[in-house]
Amino acid sequence: MLEIKNLHARIADGREILKGVDLEVKAGAVHAIMGPNGSGKSTLAGVLTGKPGYEVTQGQVLYQGSDLLALAPDARARAGVFLAFQYPVEIPGVNNMYFLRAALNATRKQRGEPELDAGQFLKAVRAKLKLLEIGEDLLQRGVNVGFSGGEKKRNEIFQMAMLEPKLAILDETDSGLDIDALQTVAKGINALRGPERAVLLITHYQRLLEHVVPDRIHVLAGGRIVKSGGKELAAELEKTGYAAFGDAA
Amino acid sequence: MSGALAEIGPYVEAFKRRGPKSEPGWLAARREGAMKRFAELGFPSRRQEAWRFTNLQSLQKASFPPAAEAAAIETAALASWRYPGEAHRLVLINGRFSPDHSAIGVLPKGVYLASTAQTLKERPDLLQSALRETDAIGGQPFVSLNAALFEDGFVLALEPGAALDKPVEIAHFGTGGQRSFHLRNLVLLGAGSRATLIESYAGAGDYWTNAAGVIDLGQGAALTHIKLQDESASAIHLAQNRIELGRDARYESFALTLGAKLSRHDSQARLEGEGAECHLDGAFLLRGQQEATNVTFADHAAPRGTTRELFKGVAEGSAHGAFLGTIAVRPNAQKTDAHMLNKNLLLSPRAAIDTKPELDILADDVKCGHGATVGDLDDEALFYLESRGLPAPEARQMLIAAFAADALDRIENQDLRAFLDVHVQRWLAGRES
Repeated sequence: MLEIKNLHARIADGREILKGVDLEVKAGAVHAIMGPNGSGKSTLAGVLTGKPGYEVTQGQVLYQGSDLLALAPDARARAGVFLAFQYPVEIPGVNNMYFLRAALNATRKQRGEPELDAGQFLKAVRAKLKLLEIGEDLLQRGVNVGFSGGEKKRNEIFQMAMLEPKLAILDETDSGLDIDALQTVAKGINALRGPERAVLLITHYQRLLEHVVPDRIHVLAGGRIVKSGGKELAAELEKTGYAAFGDAA
Repeated sequence: MSGALAEIGPYVEAFKRRGPKSEPGWLAARREGAMKRFAELGFPSRRQEAWRFTNLQSLQKASFPPAAEAAAIETAALASWRYPGEAHRLVLINGRFSPDHSAIGVLPKGVYLASTAQTLKERPDLLQSALRETDAIGGQPFVSLNAALFEDGFVLALEPGAALDKPVEIAHFGTGGQRSFHLRNLVLLGAGSRATLIESYAGAGDYWTNAAGVIDLGQGAALTHIKLQDESASAIHLAQNRIELGRDARYESFALTLGAKLSRHDSQARLEGEGAECHLDGAFLLRGQQEATNVTFADHAAPRGTTRELFKGVAEGSAHGAFLGTIAVRPNAQKTDAHMLNKNLLLSPRAAIDTKPELDILADDVKCGHGATVGDLDDEALFYLESRGLPAPEARQMLIAAFAADALDRIENQDLRAFLDVHVQRWLAGRES
């Protein structure tokens, strides 16, 4: 599904943040990327989804066998790559429902599927809303406008559930969530798991990984993957912390 | 002949040729006086602060003699700007009342609605006092020219306590021919009365609409006022309204500027009674070579007044927009609560927007604020939309639409909002990039 080879990337001021990331995620797998603050986790998510402000200086990213980095952000999304934002953006004046329907139909159009009309869309929406315990009234508002921190994160997962991506990248989705919200979000992520999909969970804490159990865990430190292991690695990190990797930079 | 004289010459001539009319003597005297003032003032210069950002070249280069008579047009020509709901509808073509296209219908008790020419015959008293007030606006040459040359317009007068449930729709249409239309409008709301007014300006070809209005709101009266300026792309539109608010009166306005190659919308509000509330909102969406200025002046002359202003501008192509807003608070206008915001979006490197919000506060116990921004679309919002699969042009369009929608949200009445939204959507659909 996703192959990252020797990926180097820098930010606008020239600082190199990713210094040779290698990672392979197969269809059906859930991988977690953990690491200390400033290790490059969010940069990796940004580079994979085409967020402006990053320059790839070396390496390659293959998504379903083809060059992901050659695609514009919207084309990546329509090809099935989804980013759940660490800080979802508030967009006053753009209605949530309207936006999501336009996004979903853009993707369906690309896949050669018929666009959903308002009625069909609403039906699909209601099923997913229930799963994520989101009130329908929230969708009548501007995108993320007036949402609490938890509501924003749930809205990200709701959008993911609607768009049914093949590769979901979740950037610190667990941060700022109370335990109930965390469980709801985890339920949403688990509902998406399947043999055709892959999930990349980016997190600082192991908390989320108790609810969404990953197949592999990687530690990103100093812009590289410095350790990989099974799900038991999370508990180990919880005990030792990231201090051992801090000097890898 | 100097440049200034060359500019005003055709209008002075037109006034002379106007000939005697069967008008009351006081009106003839007013017209003489107004013409004299116009000749003295001449066209405004960009050296005058209030006209600094308005390029009047297209008005100065050509002359627009006043239209001599009404023109006949097909009803279909007006369809695009018609308010879809029920309304008392008064249509003016080339500055003159068109009975054929109007449908005033049955007015509730205590409500008077007629063309200005008709009012001069039926109720000259209404106009006599109102015209005196308009003349009092100093340094406004186009208002003076209007006072000298006007033939028609509309008058809406409500007796104390009267209420209009259906909106009054005033639709003006210009048919070109390089003519000028000088509309003189009057809205008088007696104590405790309430009304909704929709004004639309549209047309085809080359012409100049020069509208001047007086809006007088008595104690506790409430007016909702929507204006759609969607003039022909080669037209000129200048409009000035003077709004007087009595005690606890409420004025809610929204002016949408879409059309005309050169336009100016000028709202001069005076909060004369205690506790008056004034909303001056609007949006201007410009493209091509358009020049548009929006001017607001909220003059707090009594305590406990409230002013709320939001104007949002979008400019693409080589368009130029300007916002000049002033909130003045007189020494006795304590407990004034006034806020003004102007936000602008520049969508092309050649487009420009000037913004000049000003507070002039002479009282010490007030809450006043203002803000202004000029910028491009928010990159983070753009990326968010793109990251969900929306192509960049569609994402940009969505954000521009949202920017405009945010302004329209100030309109509480959803039917009125929907009416303007149709035109905003049409503008968006015709975007260049």
